Amino acid sequence: MGSLFRSEEVCLAQLFLQSASAYSCISELGERGLLEFRDLNPKVSPFQRRFVGEVRRCEEMEKTFTFLQQELRAAGRVLGPCPESPRAPAAREALRVQEQSEQLAQELREVSRNRASLRGRLQDLRQYLHVLREGQRFTSLPAPLGSPPRPRALSEREPILDPSLHQHLERKISFVAGVIHPWRVTAFERLLWRACRGYLVASFVEMPEPMEDPATGESITWVIFLISYWGEQIGQKIRKISACFHCQVYAYPESEASRTEAITRLHSQIQELSVTLEETEKYLAEVLDKVAQVLPTWRVQVQKMKAIYLVLNQCSFDVTKKCLIAEVWCPVRDLTQVQDALRQGSVSGSVHQGLFRVPMSLCLGFLVSYVFMSRVCWCPHVLVPGVVLCLHVVFVGLLSVPMSSCQRFLGVPVSPHHGGPCARLERIVGLVPRTGSGCWGLVPGRGLLRGGCRGQAPRARQESARRARIRFWVLFLQYQSGSSVECFVQRVPTSESPPTLIRTNKFTAGFQSIVDAYGVASYQEVNPAPYAIITFPFIFAIMFGDVGHGLLMFLFALWMVLYEDSPRLRQGTNEIWLTFFEGRYLILLMGAFSIYTGFIYNECFSKATVIFPSAWSVATMANHSSWSSAYLATHPSLTLDPNVTGVFRGPYPFGIDPIWSLATNHLNFLNSFKMKMSVVLGIVHMGFGVVLGVFNHVHFQQRHRLVLEFLPEMIFLLALFGYLVFLIFYKWIKFSAADSRVAPSILIHFIDMFLFTSNAENLPLYPGQVPVQMVLVVLALASVPVLLLGTPLYQWCRQGASRMPVTTGEQEPLLEGQEAGNSVNATTEDVESGGHSPAAKHLDFAEIFMHQAIHTIEYCLGCVSNTASYLRLWALSLAHAQLSEVLWTMVMRNGFVGLSYVGGVVLVPVFTAFAVLTVAILLVMEGLSAFLHALRLHWVEFQNKFYVGAGYKLCPFAFAPDTWE
Amino acid sequence: MPGYSEFYFNVDHGYLEGLVRGFKGGILTSADYVNLAQCETLEDLKLHLQTTDYGNFLANETGPLTVSTIDEKLKTKLLTEFHYFRNHAFEPLATFLNFVTYNYMIDNVILLITGTLHQRPIAELVPKCHPLGSFEQMEAVSIASNPTELFNAILVDTPLAAFFQDCLSENDLDEMNIEIMRNKLYKSYLEAFYKFCEKQGGTTAEIMRPILEFEADRRAFIITINSFGTELSKDDREKLYPTCGKLYPEGLHLLANADDYEQVKCVAEYYAEYKAVFEGVGSGTGEKTLEDAFFEHEVKLNVLAFNNQFHFGVFYAYVKLKEQECRNIVWIAECISQRHRTKINNYIPIF
Repeated sequence: MGSLFRSEEVCLAQLFLQSASAYSCISELGERGLLEFRDLNPKVSPFQRRFVGEVRRCEEMEKTFTFLQQELRAAGRVLGPCPESPRAPAAREALRVQEQSEQLAQELREVSRNRASLRGRLQDLRQYLHVLREGQRFTSLPAPLGSPPRPRALSEREPILDPSLHQHLERKISFVAGVIHPWRVTAFERLLWRACRGYLVASFVEMPEPMEDPATGESITWVIFLISYWGEQIGQKIRKISACFHCQVYAYPESEASRTEAITRLHSQIQELSVTLEETEKYLAEVLDKVAQVLPTWRVQVQKMKAIYLVLNQCSFDVTKKCLIAEVWCPVRDLTQVQDALRQGSVSGSVHQGLFRVPMSLCLGFLVSYVFMSRVCWCPHVLVPGVVLCLHVVFVGLLSVPMSSCQRFLGVPVSPHHGGPCARLERIVGLVPRTGSGCWGLVPGRGLLRGGCRGQAPRARQESARRARIRFWVLFLQYQSGSSVECFVQRVPTSESPPTLIRTNKFTAGFQSIVDAYGVASYQEVNPAPYAIITFPFIFAIMFGDVGHGLLMFLFALWMVLYEDSPRLRQGTNEIWLTFFEGRYLILLMGAFSIYTGFIYNECFSKATVIFPSAWSVATMANHSSWSSAYLATHPSLTLDPNVTGVFRGPYPFGIDPIWSLATNHLNFLNSFKMKMSVVLGIVHMGFGVVLGVFNHVHFQQRHRLVLEFLPEMIFLLALFGYLVFLIFYKWIKFSAADSRVAPSILIHFIDMFLFTSNAENLPLYPGQVPVQMVLVVLALASVPVLLLGTPLYQWCRQGASRMPVTTGEQEPLLEGQEAGNSVNATTEDVESGGHSPAAKHLDFAEIFMHQAIHTIEYCLGCVSNTASYLRLWALSLAHAQLSEVLWTMVMRNGFVGLSYVGGVVLVPVFTAFAVLTVAILLVMEGLSAFLHALRLHWVEFQNKFYVGAGYKLCPFAFAPDTWE
Repeated sequence: MPGYSEFYFNVDHGYLEGLVRGFKGGILTSADYVNLAQCETLEDLKLHLQTTDYGNFLANETGPLTVSTIDEKLKTKLLTEFHYFRNHAFEPLATFLNFVTYNYMIDNVILLITGTLHQRPIAELVPKCHPLGSFEQMEAVSIASNPTELFNAILVDTPLAAFFQDCLSENDLDEMNIEIMRNKLYKSYLEAFYKFCEKQGGTTAEIMRPILEFEADRRAFIITINSFGTELSKDDREKLYPTCGKLYPEGLHLLANADDYEQVKCVAEYYAEYKAVFEGVGSGTGEKTLEDAFFEHEVKLNVLAFNNQFHFGVFYAYVKLKEQECRNIVWIAECISQRHRTKINNYIPIF
């Protein structure tokens, strides 16, 4: 609740990341998802950033992965999701991944190339075989016939040719044979005919089996063609044309014998090739198995790695180039956790260095001892102190290993506050880290001194600046000396408005998203969501009051809530369904509240239920007016007079008396009730909104607005509409059935109140009513100018009063700013925004006034129109009741034809129709419309009383598990 | 139904028009070009193009990036988009889009014939053809030895047949004849396209008129300038001029009689927009060439096409602008890969 009431405190912080461990730190932060990184180099284009090489390497790897995945997909395998979330790989591991993936890709590429060429070769051979076989049909025919009467072109010319020449021609018939894509056949044939003027015979036949197209991989029934022609010229042309049409041309032996020989040779070749191909395929499958095993993990790892480098690209470098500075928005609550993550990150980042130093120191130790021993003679009694010295050197060497990595090996928790050389150094310099806030002492920063320390005495400011400077140099020395410095986080004051962070759980998320859809809350503004948890379902239920419908809705939502973990519900792809599913808790509450209001309205599928006995007694009335049977028969409607003692025995215990559902003036009664209820609830709701503004004023230290805004607003609302509510209740209490005939009309009184008149026919409600009303109206009208001019004038005065001090106070930060100008933390934004703020404020006055004028007009008119707007509660609940009534009388009632079996049969379809219409119209359509109106009442009528909603959300850098496919 | 076509334009062509306007939003802006020109290597160029609408179009390139792969990919992307338009187009937009491709078909035919004349293998020539203008019988062009054969055997059932009426001759295909054939083809093509657009009427005609007029006049200028110093007679030259431009008829007469560049410039003086184009041309290095000046003017006209709605001009303009963009990117890429940075800014920004 605490965090839901207003958005969490978020601070701008700087992360000082040692370049060695920056990567692991960001990785750790990404796993936890705490911070939103700000781009510190917005002007640097993406390819000029620092880690562009690494990003490119990741892209290279992704390219390799894409290739691997394509191969897997081509082999018909589906890549499973990554089983667990692997961490981002360390540099060395990334190298390994890259190496292995490239090796695999290389292997795969080779194997698939082999396979492709084998396949191509096999297909080629097969096609050739088919060409020869099919060609047989055309070329073997004429042999027995002996004469060449086949081609048309030739036969036409035959008589002209002399027989000897003809014999000569006959011998020179040659063939071009091949296969062609079926789509190209007609164009090919036409072109052949045109280009060669018919000096050829082309025959086309479809291949008996479909084969793969090597270019596209589709299976195609190729067409075999066999062209016989005369003359070399034409042959050349035909070959050229067939090359243009991408035909496969095969050598076609001219003699029958060589053709049969070729066929048998082809057969054996095909067989050999198939065996080789099989082997290759088997090997390929093995390689693919290997790929399928590792690829999902790699993908996630590299994606994480890339994300990290993209974040690192947003960091800036400090002057020493040893340390990266990142600017983040960080929830103050999580600062310790961030520090923790950084600590862990820097430990894992520097562990390699530390490990490196152990053998180094050992070597050094041995070297020193060796030199010592060789210098000192070989005397055995000198040997003992020599060994001791040697051991000592080794020990000292070990000590120089960074404390943190040692401690890590020993299992001691590492803390920056105690232990470790850096803490020691700090104690020497006389600095103690501020443990309470989880962040360390101050570092000199221009923005910091300007904005954050304004309240402090100059003395204290200087002190803190001095400490900060020392702290900075301590750190600097540590970097230089190469000792392990942990990365740390450091708050930076800022004038910018931080992002909004409101933590939600699965229950509150739905309500928060309703508010966010209107506008994300400004930073630290009162969040309307917690109140919407109750008011939203309640206002919905007022418009949807029916026990039966509410129960159906409740059960539907309950089903979703109970099975919310089932993956089938969760991973639906239907957007409409997901919308419902996301709002399941909202629907649950809406259903529950509808049941409640349904009981108050006493309606269940439009029928009243008698839970308690009715407070009206017909018997008493009958006895009193001595209704005879004849009277009852002739009068379809009877009047129950509450003034007769015993007829009305006090109010019904809960909700509306069921007897009203039988009354002819049922609607009149309900209308009056619901209308008044709507106005009362509306004014209470709006008043609550105005009261919530108080929390904003107090929190933002704008106490003047309590008097200048909240008070006039409240007076305006209560004096006019609060009084109306009072009148409603007063009349309910004061006037009973007995004096109902002389009861005055509230409406007339309310109108008279504004006109400052009184109506003689309308009796006053209470003595002294007119002066009270006049005072109220004057009070309300008087509050308008206060609201209009109060805040602007107050700010004007304040500015006038503080103009002198501001100019003197301005000097100081400027001086200090200059001093800290080359500090690593000073960002240009801080400097700019700090320098111009007083001047900017001065110019703003006209704008403030305009803004306030608009606000005033909107508020005053809004009070009237919004009150009227709440009447939609009445209208919609009326519409709902009437619709369900219509559905009952016009559909369901038709099913009650009698108590026979026929009636039972008729009831089935009638009930079906009733049920379908109930769900479709009353639950879905009416439900949606009531939902929309409830939404509007919250967004417009309620939230504009206090909610600005001009913030933006904090989107932390996180390796969300569902972003990896 | 000229004049009223706006009423039902959206029924048939609304989707495609919306699409092309969306695609237009993806055309690189001058800010993008500034960034591209800053690139050090082709990899940088690729990285930057990834942030634009081109997205991952180079992502799956294995092996080192070359200018020709970039060019090829750019063209493929344009081709995909164009095919999408063409496949979803109704008449008369379909015919209009076909007309857009004829331009490239003519270029391809000429390229292939010239290539064959120089004994280049056809396999080497085909990749150089613009993919927008490829057609089935295209590769067979190389077997023809004279225009009549070319027409009778190969082009007779392509859409180009209609433009071939004027260039049927038994002359051998030598360089001069090929050039004449190209220009005659272009002339018929432009005139046919112009007539088609006029027939459509309405905004289409209104928008396409200046674009095609400019195209015709540009050809006339270029033919004239290129013909200096060749054996092309003045009469023959006049026959090559497309007659649908603003220069027709007086300007073309004058051009036909021009003898050198200065006289051409004098002719251009009579026409306000061409005067401006010729004035922008400088002779020194680093200054604009006439070709660039013409391109710039073309870009200007094409951009204007997007100001109106309910017409086909946007499709033509989009293809031309995209083509210009390809040229720009390829130019920048060439400059980067050849480390010739002084001329890198000679691209023609579009928006």
